[in-house]
Amino acid sequence: MLNRNLPVGTRDEFGATAQIKERMINQIQRYFRERGYAKITTPLLEYKAVFSELDLKTYQPYQLLDEQGETLVLRPDLTLPVARVMSTTGIKTPVKWYYSGDVFRVKKKLSGSYNQIAQAGIELIGYKSLKAEWECLIAAVELAQALQITDLKVELGNAKFVPLVLAALPLNEIERRNLQTALYAKDLSRYTTLIKPLAASDFYPFLKVWPWLFGDFAAVWQQLQLLPKIKAVTTICEELKETQIFLQQRFPQQQLTLDLSVASPQTYYTGMIFRGYCQSAADYLFSGGRYDQLLSSFQKTLQPAVGLAFSIDDLVARTITGKPVETTLIYFETSDWRQAEALVRKIPNSSLCLADNLKEARRLAETAGSRLVDVTGKVVQA
Amino acid sequence: MSALKIALTKGRTEQQVIPLLEASGVDCTAIRHKERRLIFNDLPDIHFILVKGPDVLTYLNRGAVDIGIVGSDILSEQNNQQYDMLDLGVGKCQFVLASTPEFDPNQIKRKIIATKYPNITQRYFQKIGEDVEIIKIEGSVELAPLVGLADAIVDIVETGTTLRENNLQVYARLQKVSTQLVVNQLALKQHQTAIATLIQRLSTAKQ
Repeated sequence: MLNRNLPVGTRDEFGATAQIKERMINQIQRYFRERGYAKITTPLLEYKAVFSELDLKTYQPYQLLDEQGETLVLRPDLTLPVARVMSTTGIKTPVKWYYSGDVFRVKKKLSGSYNQIAQAGIELIGYKSLKAEWECLIAAVELAQALQITDLKVELGNAKFVPLVLAALPLNEIERRNLQTALYAKDLSRYTTLIKPLAASDFYPFLKVWPWLFGDFAAVWQQLQLLPKIKAVTTICEELKETQIFLQQRFPQQQLTLDLSVASPQTYYTGMIFRGYCQSAADYLFSGGRYDQLLSSFQKTLQPAVGLAFSIDDLVARTITGKPVETTLIYFETSDWRQAEALVRKIPNSSLCLADNLKEARRLAETAGSRLVDVTGKVVQA
Repeated sequence: MSALKIALTKGRTEQQVIPLLEASGVDCTAIRHKERRLIFNDLPDIHFILVKGPDVLTYLNRGAVDIGIVGSDILSEQNNQQYDMLDLGVGKCQFVLASTPEFDPNQIKRKIIATKYPNITQRYFQKIGEDVEIIKIEGSVELAPLVGLADAIVDIVETGTTLRENNLQVYARLQKVSTQLVVNQLALKQHQTAIATLIQRLSTAKQ
Protein backbone atom coordinates (compact mmCIF):
# COMPACT_ATOMS: atom_id res chain seq x y z
CA MET A 1 0.00 0.00 0.00
CA LEU A 2 1.24 3.46 -0.86
CA ASN A 3 1.99 5.21 2.43
CA ARG A 4 1.13 8.88 2.02
CA ASN A 5 2.21 9.91 5.52
CA LEU A 6 5.54 11.57 6.24
CA PRO A 7 8.23 9.52 7.98
CA VAL A 8 8.71 10.47 11.65
CA GLY A 9 11.00 13.47 12.12
CA THR A 10 10.40 15.02 8.70
CA ARG A 11 8.19 17.86 7.50
CA ASP A 12 7.05 19.68 4.40
CA GLU A 13 7.73 23.38 4.12
CA PHE A 14 5.66 25.76 2.04
CA GLY A 15 4.33 29.29 2.02
CA ALA A 16 5.90 31.86 4.33
CA THR A 17 8.22 29.38 6.09
CA ALA A 18 9.71 28.11 2.83
CA GLN A 19 10.07 31.63 1.46
CA ILE A 20 11.73 33.04 4.58
CA LYS A 21 14.07 30.08 4.68
CA GLU A 22 15.07 30.49 1.05
CA ARG A 23 15.58 34.23 1.51
CA MET A 24 17.76 33.68 4.57
CA ILE A 25 19.95 31.06 2.92
CA ASN A 26 20.35 33.34 -0.12
CA GLN A 27 21.19 36.30 2.09
CA ILE A 28 23.83 34.34 4.02
CA GLN A 29 25.34 32.87 0.86
CA ARG A 30 25.43 36.24 -0.87
CA TYR A 31 27.19 37.77 2.15
CA PHE A 32 29.97 35.17 2.03
CA ARG A 33 30.24 35.28 -1.76
CA GLU A 34 30.67 39.05 -1.63
CA ARG A 35 33.30 38.58 1.08
CA GLY A 36 35.36 36.49 -1.32
CA TYR A 37 34.52 32.98 -0.15
CA ALA A 38 34.23 30.06 -2.61
CA LYS A 39 31.28 27.69 -2.63
CA ILE A 40 31.65 24.04 -1.65
CA THR A 41 28.94 21.42 -2.06
CA THR A 42 29.31 17.88 -0.79
CA PRO A 43 26.89 14.96 -1.32
CA LEU A 44 24.11 14.01 1.06
CA LEU A 45 25.45 10.46 1.14
CA GLU A 46 28.88 9.69 2.60
CA TYR A 47 30.63 6.64 4.01
CA LYS A 48 30.04 6.32 7.73
CA ALA A 49 33.79 6.40 8.38
CA VAL A 50 33.89 10.09 7.36
CA PHE A 51 32.05 10.89 10.61
CA SER A 52 34.18 8.78 12.98
CA GLU A 53 35.13 11.98 14.88
CA LEU A 54 31.50 12.56 15.88
CA ASP A 55 29.77 11.07 18.86
CA LEU A 56 27.30 9.08 16.80
CA LYS A 57 25.02 8.60 19.82
CA THR A 58 24.31 12.34 19.82
CA TYR A 59 24.47 12.61 16.04
CA GLN A 60 22.75 9.35 15.20
CA PRO A 61 22.71 9.09 11.38
CA TYR A 62 20.32 7.43 8.96
CA GLN A 63 22.24 4.45 7.60
CA LEU A 64 22.08 2.28 4.52
CA LEU A 65 24.35 -0.13 2.68
CA ASP A 66 25.92 0.33 -0.71
CA GLU A 67 26.16 -2.55 -3.20
CA GLN A 68 29.45 -3.72 -1.63
CA GLY A 69 27.92 -3.83 1.83
CA GLU A 70 29.73 -0.65 3.01
CA THR A 71 27.76 1.51 5.43
CA LEU A 72 26.60 4.81 3.99
CA VAL A 73 25.01 7.59 6.02
CA LEU A 74 22.98 10.67 5.24
CA ARG A 75 25.49 13.28 6.45
CA PRO A 76 24.92 14.25 10.11
CA ASP A 77 27.48 17.09 9.90
CA LEU A 78 28.80 19.44 7.20
CA THR A 79 32.35 20.09 8.45
CA LEU A 80 33.63 16.52 8.27
CA PRO A 81 32.78 16.14 4.56
CA VAL A 82 34.87 19.28 3.96
CA ALA A 83 37.70 17.61 5.90
CA ARG A 84 37.31 14.61 3.58
CA VAL A 85 37.48 16.83 0.49
CA MET A 86 40.65 18.53 1.75
CA SER A 87 42.42 15.25 2.55
CA THR A 88 41.58 13.57 -0.74
CA THR A 89 42.16 16.35 -3.26
CA GLY A 90 45.06 18.62 -4.07
CA ILE A 91 43.22 21.83 -3.15
CA LYS A 92 45.76 24.43 -2.07
CA THR A 93 45.40 26.13 1.30
CA PRO A 94 44.59 28.65 2.62
CA VAL A 95 41.04 28.48 1.36
CA LYS A 96 37.74 29.99 2.49
CA TRP A 97 34.63 27.92 1.77
CA TYR A 98 30.98 28.73 2.22
CA TYR A 99 28.23 26.13 2.09
CA SER A 100 24.59 25.52 2.79
CA GLY A 101 22.71 22.29 3.04
CA ASP A 102 20.78 19.89 5.21
CA VAL A 103 22.17 17.54 7.82
CA PHE A 104 20.28 14.49 9.09
CA ARG A 105 20.26 13.41 12.72
CA VAL A 106 17.85 10.82 14.06
CA LYS A 107 16.33 12.27 17.22
CA LYS A 108 14.03 10.72 19.78
CA LYS A 109 10.89 9.50 18.04
CA LEU A 110 7.66 11.45 18.51
CA SER A 111 9.36 14.15 20.58
CA GLY A 112 8.52 17.04 18.27
CA SER A 113 12.09 17.15 16.95
CA TYR A 114 12.99 17.22 13.27
CA ASN A 115 15.70 15.04 11.83
CA GLN A 116 16.50 17.17 8.80
CA ILE A 117 18.25 20.38 9.81
CA ALA A 118 19.26 23.20 7.49
CA GLN A 119 22.64 24.85 8.01
CA ALA A 120 24.69 27.49 6.23
CA GLY A 121 28.22 28.35 7.14
CA ILE A 122 31.89 28.75 6.39
CA GLU A 123 35.16 26.89 6.83
CA LEU A 124 38.44 28.84 6.84
CA ILE A 125 41.26 26.38 6.21
CA GLY A 126 44.98 27.05 6.51
CA TYR A 127 44.79 30.09 8.80
CA LYS A 128 46.60 29.83 12.15
CA SER A 129 46.06 33.41 13.21
CA LEU A 130 43.38 34.64 15.60
CA LYS A 131 42.25 36.75 12.66
CA ALA A 132 40.41 33.67 11.34
CA GLU A 133 38.28 33.50 14.50
CA TRP A 134 37.64 37.23 14.30
CA GLU A 135 36.62 36.93 10.65
CA CYS A 136 34.00 34.33 11.69
CA LEU A 137 32.78 36.52 14.54
CA ILE A 138 32.46 39.60 12.33
CA ALA A 139 30.48 37.55 9.82
CA ALA A 140 28.26 36.14 12.58
CA VAL A 141 27.46 39.53 14.11
CA GLU A 142 26.98 41.32 10.77
CA LEU A 143 24.69 38.59 9.47
CA ALA A 144 22.70 38.57 12.70
CA GLN A 145 22.26 42.34 12.31
CA ALA A 146 21.23 41.90 8.67
CA LEU A 147 18.71 39.26 9.76
CA GLN A 148 17.34 41.74 12.31
CA ILE A 149 18.29 39.80 15.42
CA THR A 150 18.42 42.68 17.85
CA ASP A 151 18.99 40.84 21.13
CA LEU A 152 21.86 38.60 20.02
CA LYS A 153 24.37 37.49 22.65
CA VAL A 154 27.71 36.23 21.44
CA GLU A 155 29.24 33.65 23.74
CA LEU A 156 32.97 32.96 23.69
CA GLY A 157 34.81 30.00 25.18
CA ASN A 158 37.72 27.68 24.54
CA ALA A 159 37.59 23.90 24.07
CA LYS A 160 40.91 23.51 25.91
CA PHE A 161 40.09 25.54 29.02
CA VAL A 162 38.37 22.81 31.06
CA PRO A 163 40.85 20.00 30.18
CA LEU A 164 43.84 22.24 30.97
CA VAL A 165 42.50 23.34 34.36
CA LEU A 166 41.55 19.75 35.23
CA ALA A 167 45.05 18.58 34.29
CA ALA A 168 46.54 21.08 36.76
CA LEU A 169 44.47 19.76 39.69
CA PRO A 170 46.04 17.32 42.16
CA LEU A 171 43.71 14.45 41.13
CA ASN A 172 44.13 11.01 39.61
CA GLU A 173 42.71 10.18 36.18
CA ILE A 174 39.42 8.71 37.46
CA GLU A 175 38.79 11.60 39.87
CA ARG A 176 39.53 14.05 37.05
CA ARG A 177 37.09 12.32 34.69
CA ASN A 178 34.38 12.23 37.35
CA LEU A 179 34.84 15.93 38.07
CA GLN A 180 34.69 16.75 34.37
CA THR A 181 31.45 14.76 33.97
CA ALA A 182 29.83 16.53 36.95
CA LEU A 183 31.02 19.95 35.71
CA TYR A 184 29.77 19.44 32.15
CA ALA A 185 26.42 18.07 33.37
CA LYS A 186 26.19 20.94 35.90
CA ASP A 187 25.41 18.23 38.47
CA LEU A 188 25.99 20.58 41.39
CA SER A 189 25.23 18.02 44.11
CA ARG A 190 27.88 15.61 42.81
CA TYR A 191 30.33 18.36 41.84
CA THR A 192 30.29 19.82 45.37
CA THR A 193 31.05 16.38 46.84
CA LEU A 194 33.88 15.80 44.38
CA ILE A 195 35.71 19.09 45.11
CA LYS A 196 35.54 18.69 48.90
CA PRO A 197 38.88 16.78 49.10
CA LEU A 198 40.50 19.81 47.41
CA ALA A 199 39.38 22.25 50.11
CA ALA A 200 42.99 22.98 51.11
CA SER A 201 44.15 23.51 47.53
CA ASP A 202 44.88 26.94 45.99
CA PHE A 203 42.32 26.01 43.36
CA TYR A 204 39.43 25.65 45.81
CA PRO A 205 38.05 29.24 45.63
CA PHE A 206 38.00 28.88 41.82
CA LEU A 207 36.53 25.37 41.92
CA LYS A 208 33.64 26.59 44.07
CA VAL A 209 32.50 29.04 41.37
CA TRP A 210 33.55 27.04 38.29
CA PRO A 211 30.11 25.58 37.36
CA TRP A 212 28.79 29.16 37.32
CA LEU A 213 31.67 30.56 35.26
CA PHE A 214 29.49 31.80 32.41
CA GLY A 215 27.57 34.97 31.62
CA ASP A 216 28.54 38.61 31.13
CA PHE A 217 32.16 38.75 29.91
CA ALA A 218 33.38 41.29 32.44
CA ALA A 219 31.78 39.47 35.39
CA VAL A 220 33.22 36.09 34.38
CA TRP A 221 36.60 37.70 33.75
CA GLN A 222 36.61 39.01 37.29
CA GLN A 223 35.84 35.58 38.75
CA LEU A 224 38.55 34.07 36.57
CA GLN A 225 41.11 35.94 38.68
CA LEU A 226 40.48 33.27 41.37
CA LEU A 227 42.24 30.71 39.18
CA PRO A 228 45.91 30.15 40.08
CA LYS A 229 48.28 30.81 37.15
CA ILE A 230 48.52 28.00 34.59
CA LYS A 231 50.74 28.99 31.66
CA ALA A 232 48.70 27.37 28.87
CA VAL A 233 45.47 28.72 30.33
CA THR A 234 46.91 32.24 30.48
CA THR A 235 47.49 32.13 26.70
CA ILE A 236 43.88 31.06 26.12
CA CYS A 237 42.58 33.80 28.38
CA GLU A 238 44.70 36.44 26.66
CA GLU A 239 43.20 35.41 23.31
CA LEU A 240 39.70 35.64 24.74
CA LYS A 241 40.41 39.08 26.18
CA GLU A 242 41.91 40.32 22.89
CA THR A 243 38.83 39.02 21.11
CA GLN A 244 36.54 40.81 23.53
CA ILE A 245 38.43 44.09 23.01
CA PHE A 246 38.36 43.64 19.23
CA LEU A 247 34.62 42.92 19.14
CA GLN A 248 33.76 45.77 21.50
CA GLN A 249 35.65 48.19 19.26
CA ARG A 250 34.04 46.87 16.10
CA PHE A 251 30.53 46.39 17.54
CA PRO A 252 30.21 48.61 20.64
CA GLN A 253 26.55 47.67 21.19
CA GLN A 254 27.07 43.90 20.91
CA GLN A 255 26.45 41.90 24.12
CA LEU A 256 29.32 39.52 24.84
CA THR A 257 29.31 36.59 27.21
CA LEU A 258 31.97 34.12 28.24
CA ASP A 259 31.50 30.47 29.19
CA LEU A 260 34.46 28.66 30.73
CA SER A 261 32.58 25.74 32.25
CA VAL A 262 31.01 24.15 29.21
CA ALA A 263 31.83 21.07 27.15
CA SER A 264 32.91 21.85 23.62
CA PRO A 265 29.90 21.68 21.28
CA GLN A 266 31.94 19.48 18.92
CA THR A 267 34.51 16.93 20.00
CA TYR A 268 36.86 18.06 17.21
CA TYR A 269 37.23 21.67 18.42
CA THR A 270 40.73 22.44 19.69
CA GLY A 271 40.67 26.16 20.43
CA MET A 272 38.31 29.10 20.67
CA ILE A 273 34.60 28.29 20.43
CA PHE A 274 31.79 30.76 19.86
CA ARG A 275 28.03 30.58 19.78
CA GLY A 276 25.15 33.01 19.43
CA TYR A 277 21.74 32.99 21.01
CA CYS A 278 18.93 35.36 21.85
CA GLN A 279 16.28 35.48 24.54
CA SER A 280 13.45 34.20 22.38
CA ALA A 281 15.19 31.31 20.60
CA ALA A 282 14.90 27.68 21.77
CA ASP A 283 18.41 26.87 20.54
CA TYR A 284 21.69 28.46 19.53
CA LEU A 285 21.43 30.45 16.30
CA PHE A 286 25.04 29.87 15.29
CA SER A 287 28.07 28.06 16.57
CA GLY A 288 31.64 27.61 15.51
CA GLY A 289 35.21 27.23 16.57
CA ARG A 290 38.77 26.29 15.78
CA TYR A 291 39.67 22.71 14.88
CA ASP A 292 43.36 22.27 14.15
CA GLN A 293 43.58 18.47 14.43
CA LEU A 294 40.87 17.43 12.03
CA LEU A 295 41.91 18.53 8.59
CA SER A 296 44.88 17.13 6.83
CA SER A 297 45.85 18.19 3.36
CA PHE A 298 46.36 15.83 0.46
CA GLN A 299 49.99 15.62 1.64
CA LYS A 300 48.73 14.48 5.06
CA THR A 301 49.89 17.59 6.89
CA LEU A 302 47.47 18.92 9.49
CA GLN A 303 45.76 22.15 8.56
CA PRO A 304 44.61 24.80 11.02
CA ALA A 305 40.94 25.61 10.49
CA VAL A 306 38.03 27.59 11.89
CA GLY A 307 34.35 27.08 11.05
CA LEU A 308 31.03 28.76 11.68
CA ALA A 309 27.53 27.44 10.98
CA PHE A 310 24.13 29.09 11.22
CA SER A 311 21.14 27.03 12.26
CA ILE A 312 18.73 28.11 9.55
CA ASP A 313 15.65 26.44 11.05
CA ASP A 314 16.11 28.23 14.38
CA LEU A 315 16.58 31.54 12.58
CA VAL A 316 13.40 30.93 10.57
CA ALA A 317 11.40 29.88 13.65
CA ARG A 318 12.44 33.14 15.30
CA THR A 319 11.32 35.18 12.30
CA ILE A 320 7.89 33.60 11.77
CA THR A 321 5.54 35.77 13.79
CA GLY A 322 2.30 33.97 13.03
CA LYS A 323 0.88 37.23 11.65
CA PRO A 324 -0.67 36.57 8.23
CA VAL A 325 1.07 38.33 5.35
CA GLU A 326 -1.17 40.53 3.18
CA THR A 327 -1.13 39.17 -0.37
CA THR A 328 -2.33 40.76 -3.58
CA LEU A 329 -3.67 39.20 -6.78
CA ILE A 330 -3.41 41.22 -9.99
CA TYR A 331 -6.25 40.72 -12.47
CA PHE A 332 -5.40 41.57 -16.07
CA GLU A 333 -6.43 41.04 -19.69
CA THR A 334 -4.00 39.00 -21.82
CA SER A 335 -3.04 42.15 -23.76
CA ASP A 336 -1.86 43.79 -20.46
CA TRP A 337 0.44 40.92 -19.45
CA ARG A 338 3.66 42.98 -19.43
CA GLN A 339 2.03 45.77 -17.44
CA ALA A 340 0.74 43.22 -14.90
CA GLU A 341 4.21 41.71 -14.60
CA ALA A 342 5.65 45.15 -13.88
CA LEU A 343 3.08 45.58 -11.12
CA VAL A 344 4.03 42.20 -9.56
CA ARG A 345 7.60 43.47 -9.23
CA LYS A 346 6.33 46.66 -7.58
CA ILE A 347 3.82 45.29 -5.04
CA PRO A 348 5.32 43.07 -2.30
CA ASN A 349 3.73 39.62 -1.91
CA SER A 350 1.73 39.94 -5.11
CA SER A 351 1.22 37.55 -8.01
CA LEU A 352 -0.65 37.35 -11.29
CA CYS A 353 -4.26 36.18 -11.09
CA LEU A 354 -4.65 33.73 -13.96
CA ALA A 355 -8.46 33.80 -13.99
CA ASP A 356 -10.28 34.18 -17.31
CA ASN A 357 -12.82 36.70 -16.09
CA LEU A 358 -13.36 39.17 -13.27
CA LYS A 359 -15.99 37.04 -11.58
CA GLU A 360 -13.59 34.11 -11.31
CA ALA A 361 -10.80 36.47 -10.20
CA ARG A 362 -12.99 37.78 -7.36
CA ARG A 363 -13.76 34.22 -6.30
CA LEU A 364 -10.04 33.24 -6.31
CA ALA A 365 -9.07 36.36 -4.34
CA GLU A 366 -11.74 35.68 -1.76
CA THR A 367 -10.66 32.03 -1.38
CA ALA A 368 -7.00 33.03 -0.99
CA GLY A 369 -7.84 35.90 1.38
CA SER A 370 -5.99 38.25 -0.98
CA ARG A 371 -6.60 41.79 -2.11
CA LEU A 372 -7.55 42.01 -5.82
CA VAL A 373 -6.19 44.85 -7.96
CA ASP A 374 -6.31 45.65 -11.68
CA VAL A 375 -3.29 46.47 -13.87
CA THR A 376 -3.40 50.09 -12.78
CA GLY A 377 -3.01 48.97 -9.18
CA LYS A 378 -6.57 50.03 -8.33
CA VAL A 379 -8.38 47.77 -5.86
CA VAL A 380 -11.22 45.82 -7.47
CA GLN A 381 -14.21 45.95 -5.17
CA ALA A 382 -15.70 42.56 -4.23
CA MET B 1 12.94 39.62 31.48
CA SER B 2 10.36 36.91 30.74
CA ALA B 3 9.06 34.60 33.49
CA LEU B 4 10.84 31.36 34.34
CA LYS B 5 8.78 28.40 33.09
CA ILE B 6 8.81 25.22 35.16
CA ALA B 7 7.34 21.81 34.33
CA LEU B 8 6.49 20.07 37.58
CA THR B 9 5.67 16.36 37.69
CA LYS B 10 2.10 16.13 38.92
CA GLY B 11 1.02 13.85 41.72
CA ARG B 12 3.33 12.70 44.49
CA THR B 13 6.35 14.69 43.24
CA GLU B 14 4.24 17.85 43.13
CA GLN B 15 3.11 17.29 46.74
CA GLN B 16 6.67 16.66 47.94
CA VAL B 17 8.20 19.62 46.08
CA ILE B 18 5.61 22.31 46.91
CA PRO B 19 6.83 22.71 50.55
CA LEU B 20 10.40 23.09 49.25
CA LEU B 21 9.33 25.70 46.71
CA GLU B 22 7.37 27.58 49.37
CA ALA B 23 10.35 27.50 51.73
CA SER B 24 12.34 29.01 48.84
CA GLY B 25 9.94 31.93 48.61
CA VAL B 26 7.82 30.70 45.67
CA ASP B 27 4.11 31.31 46.21
CA CYS B 28 2.37 27.99 45.46
CA THR B 29 -1.14 28.97 46.59
CA ALA B 30 -2.54 28.60 43.07
CA ILE B 31 -1.08 25.09 42.67
CA ARG B 32 -2.31 24.06 46.11
CA HIS B 33 -5.83 25.08 45.06
CA LYS B 34 -5.50 24.00 41.48
CA GLU B 35 -8.74 22.04 40.98
CA ARG B 36 -8.43 20.99 37.30
CA ARG B 37 -5.94 23.64 36.22
CA LEU B 38 -2.65 22.52 34.69
CA ILE B 39 -1.08 25.88 33.85
CA PHE B 40 -0.25 28.59 36.37
CA ASN B 41 0.70 32.02 35.04
CA ASP B 42 -0.44 34.00 38.08
CA LEU B 43 3.02 34.99 39.34
CA PRO B 44 4.96 37.58 37.34
CA ASP B 45 8.36 35.90 37.48
CA ILE B 46 7.65 32.17 37.64
CA HIS B 47 5.13 30.06 35.71
CA PHE B 48 4.29 26.39 36.24
CA ILE B 49 2.77 23.62 34.19
CA LEU B 50 1.80 20.27 35.70
CA VAL B 51 2.69 17.31 33.50
CA LYS B 52 3.30 13.58 33.78
CA GLY B 53 6.86 12.60 34.66
CA PRO B 54 7.78 11.03 31.30
CA ASP B 55 6.66 14.24 29.52
CA VAL B 56 8.88 16.63 31.52
CA LEU B 57 11.93 16.12 29.30
CA THR B 58 9.84 16.45 26.14
CA TYR B 59 8.80 19.97 27.19
CA LEU B 60 12.30 20.79 28.44
CA ASN B 61 14.16 19.53 25.36
CA ARG B 62 11.94 21.55 23.03
CA GLY B 63 12.51 24.71 25.07
CA ALA B 64 8.80 24.94 25.98
CA VAL B 65 9.89 25.20 29.62
CA ASP B 66 13.18 26.30 31.21
CA ILE B 67 13.21 23.94 34.19
CA GLY B 68 11.86 20.45 34.87
CA ILE B 69 11.22 18.85 38.25
CA VAL B 70 11.19 15.10 37.81
CA GLY B 71 12.49 11.82 39.25
CA SER B 72 15.99 10.59 38.41
CA ASP B 73 14.38 7.30 37.29
CA ILE B 74 12.87 9.10 34.30
CA LEU B 75 16.03 11.13 33.60
CA SER B 76 18.06 7.95 33.55
CA GLU B 77 15.54 5.99 31.47
CA GLN B 78 15.26 8.81 28.91
CA ASN B 79 19.05 9.44 28.74
CA ASN B 80 18.70 13.06 29.80
CA GLN B 81 21.12 15.46 28.07
CA GLN B 82 20.03 18.63 29.89
CA TYR B 83 21.66 19.98 33.07
CA ASP B 84 20.69 17.88 36.10
CA MET B 85 21.57 20.63 38.55
CA LEU B 86 20.12 19.81 41.94
CA ASP B 87 19.05 16.74 43.87
CA LEU B 88 16.00 17.99 45.76
CA GLY B 89 16.36 15.19 48.30
CA VAL B 90 12.70 14.14 48.12
CA GLY B 91 10.97 11.21 46.42
CA LYS B 92 13.78 8.93 47.54
CA CYS B 93 13.50 5.30 46.47
CA GLN B 94 15.57 2.64 44.74
CA PHE B 95 15.53 0.37 41.74
CA VAL B 96 15.55 -3.32 42.65
CA LEU B 97 15.55 -6.67 40.93
CA ALA B 98 12.72 -8.63 42.56
CA SER B 99 10.88 -11.87 42.11
CA THR B 100 9.14 -14.76 43.84
CA PRO B 101 11.06 -16.78 46.46
CA GLU B 102 11.53 -19.57 43.87
CA PHE B 103 13.56 -17.35 41.53
CA ASP B 104 17.20 -18.39 41.21
CA PRO B 105 19.34 -15.48 39.96
CA ASN B 106 22.20 -17.89 39.20
CA GLN B 107 20.16 -20.21 37.03
CA ILE B 108 21.73 -20.51 33.61
CA LYS B 109 19.10 -19.33 31.14
CA ARG B 110 18.19 -16.19 29.27
CA LYS B 111 15.95 -14.66 31.90
CA ILE B 112 12.80 -12.73 31.11
CA ILE B 113 12.60 -9.43 32.97
CA ALA B 114 9.46 -7.29 33.10
CA THR B 115 9.85 -3.57 33.73
CA LYS B 116 8.58 -0.08 33.08
CA TYR B 117 12.24 0.92 32.57
CA PRO B 118 13.77 -1.10 29.69
CA ASN B 119 16.85 1.13 29.26
CA ILE B 120 17.81 1.07 32.94
CA THR B 121 17.22 -2.70 33.00
CA GLN B 122 19.30 -3.25 29.91
CA ARG B 123 22.17 -1.13 31.26
CA TYR B 124 22.13 -3.05 34.58
CA PHE B 125 22.29 -6.49 32.98
CA GLN B 126 24.90 -5.30 30.47
CA LYS B 127 27.02 -4.13 33.38
CA ILE B 128 26.89 -7.54 35.06
CA GLY B 129 27.51 -9.23 31.70
CA GLU B 130 24.18 -11.00 31.35
CA ASP B 131 21.86 -11.00 28.35
CA VAL B 132 18.17 -10.96 29.26
CA GLU B 133 14.87 -10.63 27.43
CA ILE B 134 13.03 -7.50 28.51
CA ILE B 135 9.25 -7.12 28.46
CA LYS B 136 7.94 -3.56 28.76
CA ILE B 137 5.03 -3.27 31.18
CA GLU B 138 3.20 0.03 31.79
CA GLY B 139 2.00 -0.55 35.37
CA SER B 140 1.63 -3.06 38.26
CA VAL B 141 4.86 -4.71 37.15
CA GLU B 142 4.83 -6.98 40.23
CA LEU B 143 2.13 -9.08 38.58
CA ALA B 144 4.49 -10.34 35.85
CA PRO B 145 6.45 -12.98 37.84
CA LEU B 146 3.28 -14.03 39.73
CA VAL B 147 1.49 -15.07 36.56
CA GLY B 148 4.54 -16.49 34.79
CA LEU B 149 4.99 -13.66 32.25
CA ALA B 150 8.52 -12.97 33.48
CA ASP B 151 11.18 -14.53 35.71
CA ALA B 152 11.75 -11.30 37.60
CA ILE B 153 11.08 -7.56 37.54
CA VAL B 154 13.12 -4.38 37.73
CA ASP B 155 11.10 -1.70 39.47
CA ILE B 156 11.25 1.18 41.92
CA VAL B 157 10.74 0.45 45.59
CA GLU B 158 10.10 3.03 48.28
CA THR B 159 9.18 1.05 51.40
CA GLY B 160 8.93 -2.45 49.99
CA THR B 161 5.30 -2.89 51.09
CA THR B 162 3.95 -3.61 47.59
CA LEU B 163 6.63 -6.26 47.06
CA ARG B 164 5.90 -7.92 50.41
CA GLU B 165 2.14 -7.85 49.80
CA ASN B 166 2.75 -9.68 46.53
CA ASN B 167 5.13 -12.17 48.11
CA LEU B 168 8.09 -10.86 46.13
CA GLN B 169 11.61 -10.44 47.44
CA VAL B 170 14.58 -8.30 46.49
CA TYR B 171 17.49 -10.04 44.73
CA ALA B 172 19.62 -7.01 43.86
CA ARG B 173 19.68 -3.31 44.60
CA LEU B 174 20.30 -1.09 41.58
CA GLN B 175 20.58 2.70 41.40
CA LYS B 176 18.95 5.08 43.89
CA VAL B 177 16.23 7.47 42.79
CA SER B 178 15.24 10.97 43.94
CA THR B 179 13.58 14.08 42.55
CA GLN B 180 15.86 16.34 40.51
CA LEU B 181 15.81 19.88 39.21
CA VAL B 182 16.79 19.80 35.52
CA VAL B 183 17.57 22.91 33.50
CA ASN B 184 17.47 23.42 29.74
CA GLN B 185 21.05 24.19 28.68
CA LEU B 186 20.21 27.38 26.81
CA ALA B 187 17.64 28.54 29.37
CA LEU B 188 20.42 28.55 31.97
CA LYS B 189 22.14 31.24 29.89
CA GLN B 190 18.92 33.13 29.18
CA HIS B 191 17.78 33.18 32.83
CA GLN B 192 21.10 32.84 34.63
CA THR B 193 20.36 35.04 37.66
CA ALA B 194 16.82 33.77 38.24
CA ILE B 195 17.87 30.11 37.98
CA ALA B 196 20.96 30.59 40.17
CA THR B 197 18.81 32.29 42.83
CA LEU B 198 16.17 29.54 42.72
CA ILE B 199 18.81 26.81 43.01
CA GLN B 200 20.51 28.63 45.88
CA ARG B 201 17.21 28.97 47.76
CA LEU B 202 16.14 25.37 47.10
CA SER B 203 19.55 24.12 48.29
CA THR B 204 19.09 26.02 51.55
CA ALA B 205 15.46 24.93 51.88
CA LYS B 206 16.19 21.22 51.50
CA GLN B 207 18.75 21.26 54.34
